[in-house]
Amino acid sequence: MIDLMANIIWMLYIVIGGVLISWSVHFVPVGGAPAAMAQATGIGTGTVQLAAGAGLTGLVSAGFMMNVTDNILLIIASGAVGAMIMIAVTMIVGTWVYVYGVGCVPSSAKVKVDPITKYRQDIYVSQGTEGHGLPTVSFVSGVIGAALGGLGGSLVYYSLIEVGVNAGLKGSGVTNSVVGNELVAVAAIFAIGIFFVNSVIPSYNIGGTIEGFHDPKFKKWPKAVISSFVATILCAIVAVIAIAQLGGI
Amino acid sequence: MSAGGAGGGAKGGYPPQTIMAIGLIGGLLGVYLGHFMPPAYSFFGGIGAICATVWGADAVRRVASYGLGTGVPSIGMLALGMGIIAALFGLSLGVGLLGPIIAVVVAAIIGGVIGALSNKVIGMGIPIMEQAMIEISCAGTLVILGLSVVIAGSFDYAAVVQNVVANGYIALIFIIGGMGILHPFNASLGPDESQDRTLTLAVEKGAIALIITGFASSLHEGLMAASLNMFVGFVIWYIAFSKYYAFIKRDAYQVVGTGLLPSAEELQ
Repeated sequence: MIDLMANIIWMLYIVIGGVLISWSVHFVPVGGAPAAMAQATGIGTGTVQLAAGAGLTGLVSAGFMMNVTDNILLIIASGAVGAMIMIAVTMIVGTWVYVYGVGCVPSSAKVKVDPITKYRQDIYVSQGTEGHGLPTVSFVSGVIGAALGGLGGSLVYYSLIEVGVNAGLKGSGVTNSVVGNELVAVAAIFAIGIFFVNSVIPSYNIGGTIEGFHDPKFKKWPKAVISSFVATILCAIVAVIAIAQLGGI
Repeated sequence: MSAGGAGGGAKGGYPPQTIMAIGLIGGLLGVYLGHFMPPAYSFFGGIGAICATVWGADAVRRVASYGLGTGVPSIGMLALGMGIIAALFGLSLGVGLLGPIIAVVVAAIIGGVIGALSNKVIGMGIPIMEQAMIEISCAGTLVILGLSVVIAGSFDYAAVVQNVVANGYIALIFIIGGMGILHPFNASLGPDESQDRTLTLAVEKGAIALIITGFASSLHEGLMAASLNMFVGFVIWYIAFSKYYAFIKRDAYQVVGTGLLPSAEELQ
């Protein structure tokens, strides 16, 4: 088969990246539609949208860093920080809306005291809801999740770019033509595809909502990580072959 | 959040096999016709994509009726995530005309594995999960191939990479293709959901995708081909939307006009 063995290390990185993305989703406080109505703790949108938002921001910041350096540590750190900023901004603005707009206290219904601040939670939870807003522990958890997701996303992207560079393509550089850089585009769209696959699998695992690492559902993460591991191996083989073939056209 | 269905299988309408045949045969036929005909006829790719959109929307309808535990949009995004990987892989192998068929086969394998993982490892317990995942990923692949053919005029890997992927139109295809698959059931779900209404909405969404990719095709195929693409898309959209509105009027208890909002004087 097409030089799969030569790229085995990059395929390994892609799989690690996919697993990190899958694990990261369990940290992000996803509230779904109930949270949008301030009836559940977390950010008021679905897992996929949040993971994709954080992951794509990570991809952009990692790609930006690739313009100046090819040091893998700097690139994945840049990706992680980009994703962390994106999620942190989303959560802080969401909290303003919940506190000053909806008028509810950020509180978790899953634990009695916030594991970080040690504040009582249960007395602030409105009747008939499963908590609301983003308590400190969810915020911290979300930032950790975004860091892992950004790390995973940029690892996948970096590996795919390296596969292309090994196949004789140019990995960076901005062109003025409307056509753009083929390798960057193909690697980015494959990274997005792998990202979506690995953010939907854990979202089925947690059943759509989770508050963060203090949520009892968090303990289910090995199931999603195993599933993502298998699924990403398939995606990695396919993606590496498709990108290696780019060198031939 | 448990948006989705009531926790049972979807009822009524055409059997899954019929829709699957429409999607698979129509989708592949459209992709091949769009490839072989001159660029001006690349709208056949879009018609193929519409067939595949209908198939995907029907598969989403069947699986999401069981209640996914998370929103319906997630499965549409998963479809296109798997589809984009499979579609580019199939074309990249350089096997010429077999490309789209290989892409669909690879999509079926990825979809089957993810479906089996969701049922066996994660334990979603949806009886048709494996089959639905295969169908959804194949439909996603065909949507991407069809819309790529509209823009590039062929499914040659070099042409698709240069005219669709490198300039970023692939992101556009990703989202509008995903919308066509996930939106119809997401918008129609509920106790009064009926298959013909959901699938007509899928046709309408597919036609919008054809109009938008037709617009994008002006970059590569020139204004004439682009106008023809958009015209065909608009005609299909108009027919589908009229039909959809008729279905709404059929299914609704009553359709009444509320008039405009009362002005400040009228409220006093």
